[in-house]
Amino acid sequence: MVTPASGPYLFDTSAESWLGRSHDSMVRSWFREYLSIHQVHASAITVVERIRGYAVLSRRAQEARRDAIEAARIAYLSELGQVWPLDGAVGVVAGEIMALLPDPPTPPRRSHQLAESRQERLARWRFDGMIAATALVARMTLIHNNPADFESIRGAVERSPERFPRLGPLGLIRCDSLV
Amino acid sequence: MKARRRHNAETARRRTTLTLPADSLLQAERIARARKVTLSTVISEALSDGLRAHTAAERSEEVLKAYRKALTGFTDEEMLVLDGILLEPAGKRR
Repeated sequence: MVTPASGPYLFDTSAESWLGRSHDSMVRSWFREYLSIHQVHASAITVVERIRGYAVLSRRAQEARRDAIEAARIAYLSELGQVWPLDGAVGVVAGEIMALLPDPPTPPRRSHQLAESRQERLARWRFDGMIAATALVARMTLIHNNPADFESIRGAVERSPERFPRLGPLGLIRCDSLV
Repeated sequence: MKARRRHNAETARRRTTLTLPADSLLQAERIARARKVTLSTVISEALSDGLRAHTAAERSEEVLKAYRKALTGFTDEEMLVLDGILLEPAGKRR
């Protein structure tokens, strides 16, 4: 159990979705309590992923559905919370992570007849590195729903502390361990 | 001028009559005696804390509502796209 008061935390894209869509009353009350004390902190990369997602869905959608997607996008933008920029410090740390872990730890995602290309998987892996770098620079614990990727990054940071002076360890909390 | 008006509004006091639960009032009087402050101070601080918590709860509901609106009504596959996982028909893969 993670106390909301011990935040603020940095929320990965997957964590925002998990918390925003959960029907579990304990999860909802955890998020409600968190929001009454802190803002949601997110990386600018999360905004990139999310806004690209809305744009892709809108482009693929029938005309009649586009208004609903636009309303969802506006709702997301209306409560962005605290967005951490991809600045020089984050760039340095993300570069170190990418050099230590050039390849994603898991294969591209598949779902029914759909699949993620290798290029997309690599881009997503690099985005995860930038989000983890943001958490390290901001000295915030990262809440995520993507253990395979972020645990790999945590391991790499722990194995090469000399590459991350005065930073780390990377604090991680899995969504399903919040309550 | 505006700043002074706002400051006055923040520090202005108004006299009023309230009906309070007897046990809460007794507790507030005990606290006031222990802290050597007036009963008004104790009630005023408690009210401020309560109002702050109320505002925070309202704010939290607004954010939750926005999140729900932003992230519901999508299929699982669409949510993958919103999470940054771009899926395409397997035949179109590069």
